[in-house]
Amino acid sequence: MSHLPNRRLVLSSAAGVVALPFLPSLGFRRFAAAATAAAAPPAKRLVFLGFGWGVTDDFWYPDLKTPGPDYALPPGLAPLARHKSDFTIVQGLWNKYSNEGHWGSTMWLTGANRYAQPGQNFHNSVSADQIAASQLGLHTRFASLQFNYSEKEGDSGHGPGLSMAWDVRGKPVGGQNGPLAAYHRLFSADNTPIEKQRALLAEKRSVLDAVLDNAQYLQKGLSTSDQRKLDEYFEGIRDIETRLAKDEQWIGVPQPQATLAEPKQPVSGRDEIGLMYDIIVAALQTDSTRVITYRQPVASLLTSLDIKVNPHDMSHYHGSKNEKLDASQRRDLAQSELFAGFLDRIKAASEPEGTTLFDHTTVVFGSNIRTGHELTNCPTVIAGRGAGVKLGHNLVVPKNTPLCNAWLTLLKGSGVDVDRHGDSTGTISDLVS
Amino acid sequence: MVVMRVSAAHAAVWFYAAFLTATAGGAAPSVHLPDTHRSVLATHCLKCHGAEDAEGNVRLDDLPYEITSVETAERWQKVLNVLNSGAMPPEDEPPLPAAAKADFVDDLAQTMVAARRSLADQRGTITMRRLNRREYRNTLRELLGAEINVAELPADTGNGSFDTVGSNLFMSSNQFEQYQALGREAIEEALARHSARSVVQRHRYEAEQAVRKLVKVINEEIEQRDRARRWVAAVDAAAARPENATVVAEIRKQAKNDAEFRRSWERISGAPSPVEYGFGEPFIAVVGNAVDKANASLNPYFLPYHEDALTPPGIDTGAYLANQTVHPAILDNGYVSTVVPHHWQPGDFIVRFRVAGNEQATPERRFIEFGIHPRFGQVLSTHEVTGTLERPQVIEVPITLTRKHTDTGDRTLFIREKNSIDSNELASRRYNESKKKNGIGPEYTIWVDWLEIERMPAKETAPPGVAILDGMLDDKKVPSRSQIEATIEAFSQSAFRGTLPPPSFVGKLMAVYDHRLAAGDKHSAALKETLSVVLAAPMFLYLAEPAVDGQPRPLTQHELASRLSYFLWGAPPDQELRNLAASGKLTEPAVLAAQAERLLDDPRSKGFLEPFVYQWLGLHRLDFFEVNRTKFPEFDNSTRLAAKHEIYETVGHLLRTNGSLRDLLAADYVVVNNVLARHYGLDGVAGDHFRPVPLPADSPRGGFLGMTAFHLMGGNGDETSPVERGAWVLRKMLDDPPPPAPANVPAIARLAGKAVTPAERLRMHQEEPQCASCHRRIDPIGLGLENFDAIGRWRTTDSYKAEGSKDLKTWTIEPAGALFGGPAFADFHELRAVIAERPDAFVRGFSRALVEYALGRPCGFSDEPLLDAMVAQGKTKNFPVRELIQALVASDPFHTK
Repeated sequence: MSHLPNRRLVLSSAAGVVALPFLPSLGFRRFAAAATAAAAPPAKRLVFLGFGWGVTDDFWYPDLKTPGPDYALPPGLAPLARHKSDFTIVQGLWNKYSNEGHWGSTMWLTGANRYAQPGQNFHNSVSADQIAASQLGLHTRFASLQFNYSEKEGDSGHGPGLSMAWDVRGKPVGGQNGPLAAYHRLFSADNTPIEKQRALLAEKRSVLDAVLDNAQYLQKGLSTSDQRKLDEYFEGIRDIETRLAKDEQWIGVPQPQATLAEPKQPVSGRDEIGLMYDIIVAALQTDSTRVITYRQPVASLLTSLDIKVNPHDMSHYHGSKNEKLDASQRRDLAQSELFAGFLDRIKAASEPEGTTLFDHTTVVFGSNIRTGHELTNCPTVIAGRGAGVKLGHNLVVPKNTPLCNAWLTLLKGSGVDVDRHGDSTGTISDLVS
Repeated sequence: MVVMRVSAAHAAVWFYAAFLTATAGGAAPSVHLPDTHRSVLATHCLKCHGAEDAEGNVRLDDLPYEITSVETAERWQKVLNVLNSGAMPPEDEPPLPAAAKADFVDDLAQTMVAARRSLADQRGTITMRRLNRREYRNTLRELLGAEINVAELPADTGNGSFDTVGSNLFMSSNQFEQYQALGREAIEEALARHSARSVVQRHRYEAEQAVRKLVKVINEEIEQRDRARRWVAAVDAAAARPENATVVAEIRKQAKNDAEFRRSWERISGAPSPVEYGFGEPFIAVVGNAVDKANASLNPYFLPYHEDALTPPGIDTGAYLANQTVHPAILDNGYVSTVVPHHWQPGDFIVRFRVAGNEQATPERRFIEFGIHPRFGQVLSTHEVTGTLERPQVIEVPITLTRKHTDTGDRTLFIREKNSIDSNELASRRYNESKKKNGIGPEYTIWVDWLEIERMPAKETAPPGVAILDGMLDDKKVPSRSQIEATIEAFSQSAFRGTLPPPSFVGKLMAVYDHRLAAGDKHSAALKETLSVVLAAPMFLYLAEPAVDGQPRPLTQHELASRLSYFLWGAPPDQELRNLAASGKLTEPAVLAAQAERLLDDPRSKGFLEPFVYQWLGLHRLDFFEVNRTKFPEFDNSTRLAAKHEIYETVGHLLRTNGSLRDLLAADYVVVNNVLARHYGLDGVAGDHFRPVPLPADSPRGGFLGMTAFHLMGGNGDETSPVERGAWVLRKMLDDPPPPAPANVPAIARLAGKAVTPAERLRMHQEEPQCASCHRRIDPIGLGLENFDAIGRWRTTDSYKAEGSKDLKTWTIEPAGALFGGPAFADFHELRAVIAERPDAFVRGFSRALVEYALGRPCGFSDEPLLDAMVAQGKTKNFPVRELIQALVASDPFHTK
């Protein structure tokens, strides 16, 4: 513990702008108390489900000419019919800077300009879920959870990144790949005695001490741009530090009772998405976290549907139609069916005072890619009452409204104190009931 | 140097970024859109987007034609976007004339590419970089001699630049933990290998053991058939009883055949259940299935084929490779395999197999594949069987086994016939086709005597990181505290490529060690854990070169050693390089050039060849597609593997022999192995290794454009894609990359479901001026390559059948065309000649890639003088590949931080 103030000093001098969280060892114990006390009113939750390669144009989007509640569900959304009054599809949104037709998730929640930094051909900024996590995640075991597909080499159209989440510095945030990893992250109990856990924490801190010492030494004499590069390392250490501090709060607090059985068989594709949806519901029900992103598999989804078309080729169905179009439509249907099942589950999950998870959660289901290389009218479905969204509508917003306006609306609606996000120009008033 | 773009109308083909004015002195280059387009904007745009009340608040009248800022670039990008998407001019305004629009979009798109390069120019500044994934793996191998699976680390590729570009190599908290975990694993692996270094181990599997298993299966099949026959006899006997006559007649009326008749056995009084004859258990729970099983057992589909395996000579001492028949859990006759004993420690091994082909072994049935994990594993190598039953041959393959090879599957070595079971579907098709012909199944052609594995003796000297730990990990004789400190320091110095760690770092590591001891670790565990921290420390992970802002300085000797070895090996400097650096001699031009030669001659230069070629040529596309095996049954896994290796082997051949880069444009030889020679129809190529093979004068092979891998990338494994091929040629061979495919271009929906030739489809592309702007340059090249099908075979016709249509449309390929604004060509050979006449452009593109890869930063406009110099120096000697590398190594930028 005695190293800690020193390390704070190191970090703040190394990275200048990096703000460190208050740590319990410095006498700030409020979080620890919060960890054991039950959270008062049902908390707001945000879930982002990203499906990579977009959808089939004519098959998935409702008619732009029938905005409002009285619209006909197109075939691609037909599996959602039983929930029609409980979700809103927003049409006309995009990320204006996006120029990469193969990146369905990289900038979906960030709205960043890839070329914003001279001299770099890749730049990203913080994602909406991480903004939410910084405020909604203070009282849960995990500030946020990032789930990914389990496929190793599949081509699911998500683009670069370790998950859909990007931290405040625009660096990728890692996550759990596949249901088994996600399950263990949530429910695997740490059976180590408390004293031993404390010793392990101390040991981990001694590791951080050592590498920080090394980083400091290396930092001497570096040019400004190289120091900035090394700051990523400091930032990584700071993240671990923050996590250790949080771990310390949670020492002795038992893991929640698992609300579903441990996945035994490796699953992929359709089954994997279904199982991951179960785990997401479980994570919310146990209040392990309030912010979740999930990059869904597409390649293995196709495999599980016995579709042999390459996922990338599928999204270029316009030219030849035939089996690519068929694959694209069957993908839409499978994704909609799975999503309908997810809505069933959060509607059935009861919360205090006769409410359900659905009443306190906002679920976004979409992608930065519409179809092919198309990046306009990004597919966006919003469900749940967590952010006061007007549900049951085919909401047609002015063409090329920033996606970030939608994210801002949802963040504010979920009680996050934020004024703008990405390239947002304001909130979408029509989206709010 | 001044490079000016002539007006678009008179444009010749130009070979590197246009619209650029740069001076050799390195003054800031400027990018500007040709003024000729002012009138288009004035006529069609300014009415609404002028100074007064600009529509949508978009003003174009004050938009500078010279692009010097991101803001200006973005405003122009918006103009390009709305032109591409057809959103502007709006419907009620007159459209832009097609030709003017195509030229304008073309120039604007090129300008945006140039602007992006200009604005991204780091002016020689190299961002400090961490080791990328493969360098991390190679560095651990050099330090510890351990082979580590680094798949969990980010690949560091896929962001459009080389994996050496520091500004794109990120770090996160997850990664830090992965580094420590991998470091821990590497230390354990190294110690395990070291402990087994003098162990002698050999394990042999005699293939005749498989024959015993086969005989058992055959006996079961016969016994099962007999049981089925007895059941049939019993059912028939019951059916013959007079009291059953009515019901039997009724069943007969409905049943198509005897088998179906017996499905209704229950209605026949006195007929026994098939379950009583052993067709119920253990797999068959439903009685209906039991009937089917009994019916099927009457005529065991595979029995003749199985029995046939017992007839050829040699089965008392070996076994024949078969086409996989039943489930491999019952009989794994598709391969001969053996499990490496589980107690064997990791290390390097030789696998040997003794094999022979019999007289049925036609040339295409003489190949076998070796791999690990028969059910899921990849093919590791392919071998031609030239031995005979009288004189079998022994084939040797080196392999490495690690601590990760724990599952039985991952320890199972196998050999199988090439193209015998790339998928279950293909295997059964192959089987059925043969069975139709001869009533039995595919001929047995390859006999296996045995399969064995033997540990290779370790190198005489232990890897540096392991040598340091010698005697330091004994829990019975714990070293003194000062010895432990010295060990940590020496290990860190070795890991940090010779740089001594600060004492404070060693002190902090001692604290880690003490914490581990306090947490209950033994000395050895605590020390190993402590050393794993070294392998996650910044001085290990980053190649740091201290500098003062804005003041370039020459590299130090040690920095130069690292830059050179990570360039040409992807690995840390060895002792010789470090010694030269320490003695201050490495910067002497002759010494440095000699070292570069030495590094290129070393096998470790594979650590340059493969990653560089892979990224330079964009080979990731090779793994994008499944080949349509119904259409191309011969394009098996081995051929695919060989096609990929042809590229590496060809560039590797040039690198070894210092051959001319021009050979990649056109050559009178190919570098192939026996598998690929068969694919190309070249006779007389024996042996599994790649080697240069001369070509007949009229051959379309030789150079990239003749390679199967190139054509595979330029298609989807089924159909060709002239656009992909044309764009690749522009990007990689002519150094004239087309702008990235624009977002939001409307698709040509009216083509859906129509059978059109690629040429027709592309002509339609060019109807839209915004498409024509790029496609008029891409498409002629792509169409000129249409004589190669999707797997690179030569063809003269092509055909297409639209979905749901019965008509097969066939057409003759017409490759004739002309480069945009350039020379015409009548066929592929002329097209190749036109391209081959432009080696300067190709070498310039190669040099640009080399600079970016070696220096780890984007190659910007300020590097044009360097590229000029490299091309000029290469040109004097007809572009030998090492000349280019040496020119870069000797250049100032290579020596400068």
